[in-house]
Amino acid sequence: MPLENFGSILNFAENLEKQNQEFFATAADNPACEQYREMFTQFANDSGKNVKTVLRTRRENVTEMILEPIRDFIREPYCEECAEAGSMSAEDALATAKRLVDKAERYYTEAAAKIKALPEVARALKTISKKHKAHREKLASL
Amino acid sequence: MSLPLMKNYINGEWVESNSTSFGDIWNPATAEKIAQVAYGTKEDVDQAVKAAKDAYWDWRTTPPLTRARYLFRLKDAFEENFEEIAAVLTTEQGKCIDEARGEVRRMIENVEHATGVTTLMCGYTLEDIATDIDCYGHRQPLGVFAAIVPYNFPGMVAWWFLPYALVTGNTFIVKPSEQVPMTQTKIFEVIDEVGFPEGVVNMVHGSRDVVNGLLDHPDIEGISFVGATPTAKYIYQRCGETGKRVQALGGAKNIVAVMPDADLDAGMPSLITSFYGCSGQRCLSGSVLVPVGDVADELIEKFTAAAKIMKVGSGLDEATGMGPVVSAAHKERVLGYIEKGIEEGADLVMDGRNFTVDEYPNGFFVGPTLFDNVKPDMTICKEEIFGPVVSVVRAKDLDEVIELINTRGFGNAACIYTNSGAVAREFKYRVLPSMVGINIGIAAPMSFFPFGGAGNSMFGDTKAHGQEIFNFYTDTKVVIQRWF
Repeated sequence: MPLENFGSILNFAENLEKQNQEFFATAADNPACEQYREMFTQFANDSGKNVKTVLRTRRENVTEMILEPIRDFIREPYCEECAEAGSMSAEDALATAKRLVDKAERYYTEAAAKIKALPEVARALKTISKKHKAHREKLASL
Repeated sequence: MSLPLMKNYINGEWVESNSTSFGDIWNPATAEKIAQVAYGTKEDVDQAVKAAKDAYWDWRTTPPLTRARYLFRLKDAFEENFEEIAAVLTTEQGKCIDEARGEVRRMIENVEHATGVTTLMCGYTLEDIATDIDCYGHRQPLGVFAAIVPYNFPGMVAWWFLPYALVTGNTFIVKPSEQVPMTQTKIFEVIDEVGFPEGVVNMVHGSRDVVNGLLDHPDIEGISFVGATPTAKYIYQRCGETGKRVQALGGAKNIVAVMPDADLDAGMPSLITSFYGCSGQRCLSGSVLVPVGDVADELIEKFTAAAKIMKVGSGLDEATGMGPVVSAAHKERVLGYIEKGIEEGADLVMDGRNFTVDEYPNGFFVGPTLFDNVKPDMTICKEEIFGPVVSVVRAKDLDEVIELINTRGFGNAACIYTNSGAVAREFKYRVLPSMVGINIGIAAPMSFFPFGGAGNSMFGDTKAHGQEIFNFYTDTKVVIQRWF
């Protein structure tokens, strides 16, 4: 499904972060993931902050002059179906977490490039991308 | 099931009109009735004016910074209710949700700009205008003002005026469009939460009786209006008769010229938005597209290709590029213009008649429409259509473009796409319209610049928002002083 305007890019980001937030919060409560509880809780909190950043960015930058279509950007490469994190093994939870943050980082990087005509929006998306990059590196270091 | 009834907001309370006449509010995408509004009466106006007048003195003696703090609180409240306001707006007006969000943003920007009152309302002084005599000018508020606003921007337009009137110490009455009163009602729910002093800000729903009640009321100092040109002219004349200040913004016939050196690919998204954004129901929408010289065929080919892939549907669907027009009656009006274009001999390249959206078979949709080979004297090149209908007039050079623009009677906006600074400068220098876009399809001034046209697009001398609006809402009292 195409992401062809400003609103759809930020709506997808909002949904992506909410999905991540729910996954990490649930994983943090999963006894099998006890050793990663602190990290997953942090990731969930970060996604919650990202949602606020995305919503603020949308509110503050959506003006008539920038309601122009965006081409060649679709959501499918960045979608990730998550199994129920509450019943996963720690290994599966980590593997899923890696896929989630990897796709999120790539999404924000690509979206920032697509929306570069709006520097404030691009800046916000890059900032969130960096947060996901940090999460990816943390997961890779485990 | 009974439909919700929009109430008036007078003296800090929600009150029902005593009217026995009601109108229906529609969702233009689904063609369903979603609410009702009472067509208010002169008595409703009298009640609101009395409340505003009674509140005036306490409000005008409130320090400007304190008045501004109400607006700061209002801004925060609008941010919190941002999505809800935008959703109501799209539901009753039909525009795309991002367009509605953009409108709410512009509304908030006016609140933000008005908070600069402690600088923008300052007067000026000069010592020694004669021996031992000093002179100073204060800007003082005047009393009760009102705004009568249109259906195409049910949220924003009232806010081109309201925050400035309030922050300068006046009190205010809004009359929303009777076609789309839900958005302003939602906004007034937010105002109610913020808790302005009673009577400072009021809203009366209705139609002609409310308009005339406001125009004729002796206790109203000034009127701001945005709408069609015949109504703007009527309001200007009637306010003149009753001695009111008035700013009456009317319709438009905006021309967008494309020069042979223009970057078509870079400009195409904003060209499409100019003509089809808000389904053409903007006073800044492009209406006449003028390719100059040999760019015409390539421009039309690229323009129609881009228009054809634009999704038309419900404004609440985020993938939608163009929503319905506001009402069944307006749809018929737009279709009438398309018929007129055919009748007068223009070539119909894209036909938006009989356009349907599968999920919303009854919606008030008009598809993107384009006429080629339109002549300057055709009806579709002279009258405001206010729909997604593009009239292409081919011109041989810039002089022909400027002649076309300056003979439309309207003078709202004009745009040009070119890579030549010299051509752009000549264009902006010679055209009559007051809002000019250069490689911009919608020349919409932001809150800190004035909004308004020339010619038959505006009656009055002070435009909406910008710095000038502080003049409209204040009287400069000059004091000449000598002490013995």
